[in-house]
Amino acid sequence: MKKHLIILLGSLIGLAACQKGEIPNLNSPIVDDAIRNGTKVKLDNLMVGLESGTRNSLATYYDAIGLIGREIYRMSASEPRYTKELMGDGALDNNTFYITNPWSARYRVVRQGNIIHDVVANATYLSDAQKKGYTGYTKTIMAYQLLMNLNMTYTNGVRTDVKDPNNIGPFKGYPESLADIAALLDAGKAELTGSEIAFPITIGATNAAAVIKFNRALAARVAIYRQQWAAALTALNESFFDLNGPFENGYFHSFSNKSGDQLNPLFLPQNTTSGEFRVATPYYVAQILPGDDRIAKATLRTEPASQLGLVSNRDVWIHKSNEAPVFIIRNEELILIYAEAKIQLNQIPDAIVAINRLRVDHNLTPYAGGITQAALINEMLYHRRYSLFAEGHRWIDMRRYNRLADLPNPRPGDKVWEKFPIPLTEGN
Amino acid sequence: MHFLKQCTWLLILLCSAISAHAQQRVSGRVTDKEGNGLPGVTVRIQNTNRGTVSDIQGRFSLEANVGNTLVFSFTGYKTVQQAASAGAMNIQLEEDFANLDEVVITGLATSVKRSNLANAVATISAKELYGVAPAQTFDAALSGKIPGALITANSGAPGGGMSVKMRGVTSIFSNSQPLYVVDGIFISNVSVPANLNIITAASRAGNEQYQDNPSSRVADINPDDIENIEVLKGASAAAIYGSKAAAGVVIITTKKGQAGRTVVRARQDVGWTQARKLLGMRHFTEQTAFDKGGAAARDAFIAARNAGKLFDHEKEMYGEKGLLLNTNVSVTGGDERTGVFFSANRKDEDGIIKNTGYSNNSLRLNVDHKLNNRISVGLRATYMKTSADRGLTNNDNNSVSYGVALSAAPEYVPLLPDANGNYPLLVGGQNPIETRDKMRNNESVNRVITGGEIKVNLQENTKTNTRLIVRGGVDYFHLKTEAIFPRSLPFMKDNLEGASIQGNTSNLNSNLAGILVNQFAANTKLNFTTSLGATLETNYLDLIVATATNTTPLQTNVDMAANAALQQFRTKYRDNGIFIQEDVLIMDAISIGAGVRFDRSTNNGDYKKYFVLPKASFSWNLAKMPFWKMQLINSLKIRAAYGQSGNVAPYGARFLAALPNNIGGNGGVLVDNQLGNPDIKQEKQAEFETGLDVSFLNGRLTLEATYYNKNIYDLLIRRNLQPSTGFTAQWLNAGDLRNQGIEIGIGAIPVNTKNFRWNTHVNFWKNKSKITKLLIPPFPMGAFGNSLGNFYIEEGKSATQIIGTLGATPGIGVLGNSEPDFQLSTLNEISFLKNFSLRFMLHWKKGGDNINLTQLLNDLNQTSPDYDDDKNGNGIKDGDDRNTAFGKGEAAGFVQDASYVRIREIGLYYEVPVPRNKYITGVNIGASLNNWITWTKYNSYDPESSNFGSNTLSTATSRGSNGLSSGVEVMPYPASKRATFHVTVTF
Repeated sequence: MKKHLIILLGSLIGLAACQKGEIPNLNSPIVDDAIRNGTKVKLDNLMVGLESGTRNSLATYYDAIGLIGREIYRMSASEPRYTKELMGDGALDNNTFYITNPWSARYRVVRQGNIIHDVVANATYLSDAQKKGYTGYTKTIMAYQLLMNLNMTYTNGVRTDVKDPNNIGPFKGYPESLADIAALLDAGKAELTGSEIAFPITIGATNAAAVIKFNRALAARVAIYRQQWAAALTALNESFFDLNGPFENGYFHSFSNKSGDQLNPLFLPQNTTSGEFRVATPYYVAQILPGDDRIAKATLRTEPASQLGLVSNRDVWIHKSNEAPVFIIRNEELILIYAEAKIQLNQIPDAIVAINRLRVDHNLTPYAGGITQAALINEMLYHRRYSLFAEGHRWIDMRRYNRLADLPNPRPGDKVWEKFPIPLTEGN
Repeated sequence: MHFLKQCTWLLILLCSAISAHAQQRVSGRVTDKEGNGLPGVTVRIQNTNRGTVSDIQGRFSLEANVGNTLVFSFTGYKTVQQAASAGAMNIQLEEDFANLDEVVITGLATSVKRSNLANAVATISAKELYGVAPAQTFDAALSGKIPGALITANSGAPGGGMSVKMRGVTSIFSNSQPLYVVDGIFISNVSVPANLNIITAASRAGNEQYQDNPSSRVADINPDDIENIEVLKGASAAAIYGSKAAAGVVIITTKKGQAGRTVVRARQDVGWTQARKLLGMRHFTEQTAFDKGGAAARDAFIAARNAGKLFDHEKEMYGEKGLLLNTNVSVTGGDERTGVFFSANRKDEDGIIKNTGYSNNSLRLNVDHKLNNRISVGLRATYMKTSADRGLTNNDNNSVSYGVALSAAPEYVPLLPDANGNYPLLVGGQNPIETRDKMRNNESVNRVITGGEIKVNLQENTKTNTRLIVRGGVDYFHLKTEAIFPRSLPFMKDNLEGASIQGNTSNLNSNLAGILVNQFAANTKLNFTTSLGATLETNYLDLIVATATNTTPLQTNVDMAANAALQQFRTKYRDNGIFIQEDVLIMDAISIGAGVRFDRSTNNGDYKKYFVLPKASFSWNLAKMPFWKMQLINSLKIRAAYGQSGNVAPYGARFLAALPNNIGGNGGVLVDNQLGNPDIKQEKQAEFETGLDVSFLNGRLTLEATYYNKNIYDLLIRRNLQPSTGFTAQWLNAGDLRNQGIEIGIGAIPVNTKNFRWNTHVNFWKNKSKITKLLIPPFPMGAFGNSLGNFYIEEGKSATQIIGTLGATPGIGVLGNSEPDFQLSTLNEISFLKNFSLRFMLHWKKGGDNINLTQLLNDLNQTSPDYDDDKNGNGIKDGDDRNTAFGKGEAAGFVQDASYVRIREIGLYYEVPVPRNKYITGVNIGASLNNWITWTKYNSYDPESSNFGSNTLSTATSRGSNGLSSGVEVMPYPASKRATFHVTVTF
């Protein structure tokens, strides 16, 4: 009997160990594996994810900026903070979706970029030209992501050095952050030069030359933010800028119904009656010049939309289906950058050529206003407002020209924010 | 496999080794003190598992040696021991008012008499669970019945969904729901969301958690099959369950067949359900309509009023009276060697919203069989098929869920379809009546829980016996979630163009345990019980969701659509444990126990590492000591217990994953925003409890008082990282939490006459939690941001404090706490006029705040029923006052006292006198009300509500519920109450 007991006890304890081995992640790849045992397919998957990730929380970003820039009203029956806090009623919360979601989505893409750099560093399977293609494009995207966050936090700044997650760099001021972003774009351009693009790209470029043009277009945008007008023109010359080309030439986020893909989050059908509205503020119509065809970007609703004293009878109508792309940068903006730089450099005739390109193509008569820098700046800002409506520029432009006070407040409690707070958890 | 082989070999060996003794037939009769025969009394030869059960006249007979000690035990009566004699034995059993002889399961295979128990283990009998006023589901039937627990319904939606927290919050982010064990089988209680988020976008802003309002799986169990429930509330009692027991263990034992006449019982319940409370509609005037929506609204109001078309939309939506039907047939029977219990149940219920409802069909077969005097087996098998149509409720960001859309529908706007079936459009929301009539959100489950137990007497003699218990089981379910939104719904137009979201979850839990128990009686006053065992639990969950959009009209198959997207999520774990436990019983009065369990899990960072979880207990029943002379007090026990248990890390906490993120037809992966932590380990709980149990007047009055101190170390916290790292969260063992509380139970039988008997139980309990250590900065969590009220985890403060923005003064302040000040419940049974029995249960929850955002959404749409009131008399409408406060950033208004006093259950039953006949032995009729009356000042449908649910699965791309966030209310499915008539016929 005793012997049996011993066997039995042994078996009981053996039971605890009868299955062996670690259980791996069943659902998705592990980042460590991509770094340590990288292959080109794994790397390309990361590149696709990088591009895909640039679209996360995009609607929150555009809605927040559009609301503060008084371009749009975002009304939602179940989310009152659009029409309250973002319009200036109350205080901006540093721990809620309108700042935390886009902020972390952008930095997540930056993290992806840094991971890609680690993978590329170990990639014996790539040629040097290919490696430079990966890193040059990644840097361009990372710079763009940092710029979007800086647009929100402005003089509160961003962290530009986040390579080591255990030892991230400090917040830098607005000019310093912009300088770092410009340097990152330049580094990207340098690597792209003479490189080979060996991975799929969906932003509208297929080869290194096109990616360089995209990189330089962003550099031109950063240059005017830095008031480096000559540099803006230099960058434009290396970009896809075409004074006479189609306005809609450019680079974009694409969307589709395909499995695992995303739908355009900025699309809402016209005349929705649900509680979800993305409408043009009444000021859009009130201040547009007669005949300006850009009125078509804000179509008349059958019934006005209203919430908490905000009323509008026009839908924002720039994304016309849930598979429509969202432009990152397009030729119309580049023409405006050109005009702005020329005005600032006091090269008035060139500026007027560019302004007239916009006026004529938008069904207006050629420019007949004052030939002063001040008058032309007003003219240029008008076109930036209507040409780039609801594309995330108005608030930033008014801020650049110290004109936030000119933005209207529809209700007594409203005010125009200058910048978003740094997310609370950055203080951790 | 190797082990099983050995086991079989061993069994064969043992069977052949049965020894024969010189035995004779011993017989007699068991009666109560009036001399009536007691059927069903268990008669057992001490220290063996040989025995029998008394027949309908109370007679018994069995083979025994003269002089053997026979133990006579019967639920509700005191156990009697008597030496077997040659002549007819006459045994009289006394009623055990205080349940001192009740046997309570304390180990995985050992049990202790309540009079020697060292812990406050709550026991719920079948009558308490289901015999007063049946709730819809098993989990809802627990409400108010477990001292020490905070039990809250997540919503009123058909099919259940409860949050059960034992002795406070036991985890901040990880599981704080108890382990459910049915007949030794560890069952799954996971809630799987139906992926309604694609429709509601509830997690888009404010809070990333899914808010799909899924049902809970423990609700599948048919409450009518349950014999009793024991609740181990913390580590001191539940340590032997190891790393799954941190939030307590609910041990469910189902009914068994017994020797004697076969009893067939048929039960039919018929009733109705209706909303507990409707808020009403705001009644407009020309002026208020104008204030809300300008001239257009005023004109619409005038036209509607003049046409007599002011509507009560809320009543149309939530005002249904749902029919309740429940049919149960059970068969119990057996002989000395075999017992069989069979039951079949069909429940079919409508909800208080059209097109919602619940059905549960279940079958159960329990067989117990003694192969011989040494070996017995018990087999348990149950099959359940449930279906819940849950409608579309809770928070959403697309104004489609019923409540959110209703808030946009003032009384002067029509919602009902015209003669051609065309629904009016609603401005500011989706016509909820149209959504209700056209959409479908169904959860259906096919589930099998089956298992068995083999008990083998390895060895027995007068001093000692050794048993081997091998127990195993599986719980398998397939859950299908089906959310169909036809393309004719207006919000599908130019958008998804119809959606068919179908989730398939298969889940398999299995567990296997082998336990050796040795009992050794050194002498009549000293008994040792040693147990030693090993356990293995595994889980595999596989969830596949297909989301088809742009659907073919009237078709729901996912391939009848232009677009489809797929998601899959799997989890798998394997936990092992080894334990040893020693219990010493001295003079049947002093009980000392000690044990240790070694546990490991593949969910921990180091899957090979064993965690050591010790326990110890002590109790001393002074009244059983020889020196005790006080007749008034028949039991006085002091007790103390200590134990540790764990809570394993969530699946995937170890990894930094890359998640699918496709674009342009290319497959891609994007780094997760949750950083992996390879060092993650389990939470450790150490609980100490001590108490005093007294029984006066032979059990007519009892008192049970308990104090506990429960510390949870290495709290699993999903901490926020600086988002500029690219990561927003990481699991970290980052703090300690303490719960202290008291539980007082008083039982009394104030009146006990032949024609009138009143039995009452009063329970009082209170818990206070405190974050005693936090290694990371304090952080808000759990709701929608500080401006709407939020939970705030801060060292030195309560784990459930609610904070919010203060308006004029910058920063945040404490606005409330979701933890109740105390709870009190009383369960009463009054038997009168011989055949009548009135049972009722009252439940008082004092304090505990909710974050009420239902009111906010109504206020913002200016449709709150009390919008025009001026309760504070400041000359401004309350609705305007609240909106102004919200505009200033004052969150205080949302944090509201959710106290209530509720008549949870009340039932009147009548035992119809049946003349002696061949067929029918009993007829019982009754009527009951469930949750019928509630007194509360809480300004919404019901103080019990949780927008985030409990136990909701987190997947790679969606966040489930956390340990805290009950009490956040956003447009829930309103709670309902039930009235039911019952007929039970016994054959």
